[in-house]
Amino acid sequence: MLPSEAVSQDASRMTVAQLCLVGLATLGQLNDILSETQRAQMVDWIYEQQIPRAGAYAGFRGGSLFGPHSSCSYAPANSANLAATYSALCSLLLLGDDLSRVDKQAILGAMRQLQLESGTFVPHPGTNEHDPRFIYCACAISSILNDWSGVDKDAATRYIVKCSNYDGGMTQARFQESHGGHLYCCVASLSLMKRLDALPDRQRTLKWALFRQGGGYHGRTNKVPDVCYSFWIGAAVEILGGHDLVDTGAVAYFIRQCEADIGGLAKWPGYRPDPLHASLGLVGYSFCCPEKFPRMSPELLLPESVLEAHRARQTQ
Amino acid sequence: MRIEGSEQVEEAVSLAQQAEWQDITPIEQEEGEGSMCPIAYTDEYRELMGYLRAVMAVGEVSERALALTARVIEENPGHYTVWVYRKRLVEELESDIAEELDWVCDISCKFPKNYQLWHHRESLVTRLWAPSNALLVSEDQRVTNPVLRRELQFLDAAIDEDSKNFHAWSYRQWLVSTYALWTQELAFVDTMINQDVRNNSAWNQRYFAILANRNPSVVRLEADVAKSEIEYVVEHIKLAPNNDSPWSYVTGLLLRHAPSMLYTDLLPRIKQLAADNAYQAAMTLTPFYWSALLDIYEQQSADHPDLKKQLIDESSAICDQLASETDIIHCRYWNFRKTSLDTC
Repeated sequence: MLPSEAVSQDASRMTVAQLCLVGLATLGQLNDILSETQRAQMVDWIYEQQIPRAGAYAGFRGGSLFGPHSSCSYAPANSANLAATYSALCSLLLLGDDLSRVDKQAILGAMRQLQLESGTFVPHPGTNEHDPRFIYCACAISSILNDWSGVDKDAATRYIVKCSNYDGGMTQARFQESHGGHLYCCVASLSLMKRLDALPDRQRTLKWALFRQGGGYHGRTNKVPDVCYSFWIGAAVEILGGHDLVDTGAVAYFIRQCEADIGGLAKWPGYRPDPLHASLGLVGYSFCCPEKFPRMSPELLLPESVLEAHRARQTQ
Repeated sequence: MRIEGSEQVEEAVSLAQQAEWQDITPIEQEEGEGSMCPIAYTDEYRELMGYLRAVMAVGEVSERALALTARVIEENPGHYTVWVYRKRLVEELESDIAEELDWVCDISCKFPKNYQLWHHRESLVTRLWAPSNALLVSEDQRVTNPVLRRELQFLDAAIDEDSKNFHAWSYRQWLVSTYALWTQELAFVDTMINQDVRNNSAWNQRYFAILANRNPSVVRLEADVAKSEIEYVVEHIKLAPNNDSPWSYVTGLLLRHAPSMLYTDLLPRIKQLAADNAYQAAMTLTPFYWSALLDIYEQQSADHPDLKKQLIDESSAICDQLASETDIIHCRYWNFRKTSLDTC
């Protein structure tokens, strides 16, 4: 159970859950720590967050805080969110579910309505918040469901290309500061759409990513290293084919420095741990020492083995 | 908590005991056995949410609903649908927008990394002064207008609190682009760079201000602007040669918008600086100087194939030096770069 101070995460429990499962999966412990009954109960809880109707609000919501579905007649009050839908699908796969209860058409129908003319996505109706995080979620969902009818790939690609910055980095919207998190979302989206060649200068982008390393990885020029960038930058580097150009020893050393006394990983050495940094730090660590961990997909924050089993089921 | 005035008495009393809320039955949250990442809610939050669910479920439009959304956001600003609901309430109740903006300021102090509050602020500002109307007056008049003056002051405070707050800089770009506040922006950027020459957010904003919303893929920078930027960068490199920001700014700017000036103008200036006794040691030790030379030679070589062999030889030596001495942590990259010199 998370402490009351974590209440600002109440609408993101689905994502926190995904991160916890990813962390356990990276350690190869998921099926040992969680019994079959526990996993089945968690799967049920996730499906309880699926909005039981089609339309723009369809998909999975971020938590149970919105109340019982039947109690709500004002649609905007009980809405899915692209990030939560992505987290839900990943979590279901990690828990061994076959996604048979997922209302695929409803999700893709909602997704179409969330893409703006500029190519980017809003996470749910009624907001003007839009950026590559949600393009990534849409691409990840489409890849997992193996159906791209919810995404105008040309428009999304055009938007991402506009996010490339003067220093080779990628950012949230044209002219904003190059940022490791948005680099990941842009590069992973292009990779999932099989449009990586749309990057205006792939070598320069790879260089920008590599030069976020000064020991550990930092997320923006002249900022301090933070363990979560071991994933955001580390995974982007993997996707761009730069694994052999990284000083993996130095990155691994930094991550180990971030290990907390009580367990888990913190964003900086000596800081307090949290699920996001613990999980992303672990996956980032696995890229540095691949022989010691189950192989993790840099594009989808899932073990390759889980992804392969899922693809095999899809082709049957 | 100490109870002083009547408003605090109301806050301390639970909603269930307030006359105003007697007609509402709170809606409880359902969990189930497999509840994932449950949070140990305080009784206060649990109660607020029960009442919020009840009013949101029917889309109630009222002052009490508005007050309730504020209380929930103050606990959990990541509640993504409550912002949508609040926006609707503010519009339909015709709430005072200036007061609403003040309230958003309070939220941003408590939760500087929250995303939603900035977008809420955007919608309020455009309602207060439509951009199409604002653009009918001069920039001086726009900057002194109370609406925009308040926003610029709010941004000053946010950036003062955290000079690299990504949301603040991003909102600032929205404000400057939407209301065409370009002249004041270059001055602001200069102030921020001089406050901290390593603030990359400020250098990035300089690129934004110089381009002033022109499409980067078609802009050719005027020669006098490019020269002036080169001088500006060199002066700031002198303050701290081992600083990524000005180097990546000037090489990126010229590569995109005046590529030949990389070698006609930037190259002689940085070589001059490297030869200057006062800066020689620092320049030799910084990887950014050598990396800039590689980028410059790459462009020069592409434009002047007759110089290619000589430039590749020099670049090769630079890669070796970077890999073995000046930038060892990136040695694998520099070795790779050396092998790809010939293919440029």
